[in-house]
Amino acid sequence: MRGGAIPLLVWGFILGLSMALVTIWNSGKPVIGFMGGFAVLITFLTALAFILLRPREAVRRGPPEPTGEPRAVPTASYGSVLFAVGGASLVYGLAFGHFLIYFGIGLMVVAVGVIIREKVFQRRALRRWRESPVTPGTGEGPAARRPEGD
Amino acid sequence: MTVQSPPLSAQRRRSAGWIGALTSTDHKRIGLNVAICSLGFFLAGGVMALFIRAQISQPNNHIVSDQTYTELFTMHGSTMIYLFVTPMAVALAVYLVPLQIGASEIAGGRTTLTGFWIWLLGGLTMESGWLAGGGSGRAGWFSYTPLSEAQYTPGIGQDLWTLGVILAVSGTVLMAATVTWTIARHRAPGMALLRMPVFTWTALVSVLMVVGSFPVLVVAMILLYLDRTAGTHIFVGYTGAIDYQNMFWFYGHPVVYVMFFPYLGCAAESIAAGARKRWFGYKAFVASMIMFSVLSMSVWGHHMFTTGGNVNEAFAFTSTLLLVPAGIEYFDMAGTLIGGAIKLRASLLFGLTFFLQFLIGGLSGIWIASPVLDYSNHNTYFIIGHFHYTLFAGSIFGFFAGVYHWFPKVTGAMLRERLGKLQLVVMIIGTNMTFFPMFILGQEGMVRRISRYPQHPGWGTLNLIESIGAGIIALGVLIFLYNVWVSLRRRVPAGADPWEGQTLEWWTSSPPPPLNFPEPLPPIRSYAPLQDLREEAEERQRQQEEAPA
Repeated sequence: MRGGAIPLLVWGFILGLSMALVTIWNSGKPVIGFMGGFAVLITFLTALAFILLRPREAVRRGPPEPTGEPRAVPTASYGSVLFAVGGASLVYGLAFGHFLIYFGIGLMVVAVGVIIREKVFQRRALRRWRESPVTPGTGEGPAARRPEGD
Repeated sequence: MTVQSPPLSAQRRRSAGWIGALTSTDHKRIGLNVAICSLGFFLAGGVMALFIRAQISQPNNHIVSDQTYTELFTMHGSTMIYLFVTPMAVALAVYLVPLQIGASEIAGGRTTLTGFWIWLLGGLTMESGWLAGGGSGRAGWFSYTPLSEAQYTPGIGQDLWTLGVILAVSGTVLMAATVTWTIARHRAPGMALLRMPVFTWTALVSVLMVVGSFPVLVVAMILLYLDRTAGTHIFVGYTGAIDYQNMFWFYGHPVVYVMFFPYLGCAAESIAAGARKRWFGYKAFVASMIMFSVLSMSVWGHHMFTTGGNVNEAFAFTSTLLLVPAGIEYFDMAGTLIGGAIKLRASLLFGLTFFLQFLIGGLSGIWIASPVLDYSNHNTYFIIGHFHYTLFAGSIFGFFAGVYHWFPKVTGAMLRERLGKLQLVVMIIGTNMTFFPMFILGQEGMVRRISRYPQHPGWGTLNLIESIGAGIIALGVLIFLYNVWVSLRRRVPAGADPWEGQTLEWWTSSPPPPLNFPEPLPPIRSYAPLQDLREEAEERQRQQEEAPA
């Protein structure tokens, strides 16, 4: 895990200056200040999230250091697709028919359950990998360690 | 060296086939899915453009009705912007950024996948308006109020357009957010910010703009939908209309640059590879990108000069400032070519054409960044010419530069160079035939969005030239599709690095395997680590040759 707050802070600072200029020049236009403020706020909140998640690295200069933490990533996610289809169905239902809204909500609830199940499998897979015996060359077990981007 | 274990599969069985492709959380698969779907939307938008051009190829044509014409130009603009150029830019970022920064995966694969599906279903929602009884959305791609209010544009088609925009833009924001997170937190050891490749920098500033400005459009569309269906009066009256325009263009101008920067990155990478030289003035380029993106979020008011709703001087000032970072990019491009061992590949030629064609769009932009001059050209074909030179003549050529550059990496097969060059020539002719006469028509006062126009001397001829040009562009696209088809059917293997590439994506196989890098990464000491390796090898060889026997 690395930092990443620096570009956001720099970008947000320059954006803040630019937005302040435009807002002051357009005095009396609350919508301009609101939108500019929103963009700057989003930028700084994201930077803050990075800093809070990894306090030291986030504002450290220089390249990222490698980490030894193993990660499990999914190859596919049915839950994510179901969630999107449910959300779209809900929105489409606003114009087309209320039954789609209920269908969409139901689908999204199911999708959350599927995603939780996928996450549980992910943890199990990681645990199994950690506990598995060293089998060089097979790509299984801790012996398969290698330099990795992230 | 500290090492990290390989990420593991959480799935008991790997999904295969169509379902596997459509549910994959692999960033390459998602990027490809977005790219393929947005290409489909591009073809649909292109067909709409051909109908538009056929209708106005002559004065008083009656190929389509007035309402259908209005629907066509609304859906053409909406399809191209919400469903093709912007998502294609994000697709390139989703596919390429993790590879370029040495990451094995994108951050938040599930979120990216959700974003893709929400965007796609949003696009289909928008296009489903064609099947609605009263027709599709027909208030223009920006759907100004009060025109887009239910009173003036009744019918479910406009509702579906509004909901489609909400979904499509929300999906784009999700995908962009994961790219931002990936760049921030998943860079390979050694990949400092000022060692990120040029394309990644252009992607970073683009996704920052997406995350910062696109949610404002989502809010505007929700409010518009409430106005249309729930009886609220948020965008009613002069103040409401100006507020809507401010909110729309707060999205609408940054999106122009989201549709520009990644393609600029494509052009830059293809030119550097074609010149077999590092990108000239890298740090100045990065600084210009940051300035460019920030300024581009502060210029939206120049779309509203004639409304009297904002202080024009403020936005004229910020708009004119854009010239400075733009100039740096052209300077860097020229600097990269000078002294390079140039190979005139299709990708390099498309990249160069991107810069030259965009120059016309950029120069006409200076013209309309001035409120005094903008007043005379507002709502005329001059504006259509300007933004098509930036978005089509610019971005699309950059897109094709990227396609010719990275197609071997994505598919493992080379595109046919001759067909690529033929496509380039055809598209240059078609593009300039279509869009240059628009400047003349605009200066002569032909307003946009009219399905018929009077028998003004020369207008019929110029419009006919434009329509023929649009057909030639379509021919260019067909040549490209044929090139893809023939290259995939009769494959010429590309190998891992057919161009002597400079950045990390050329380190891995073509196409890259799951988790991207099976081999350890090379040391990253600059934004061109593979170029570093080559130069070190050359230096070693030179020293050996010079050493006394």
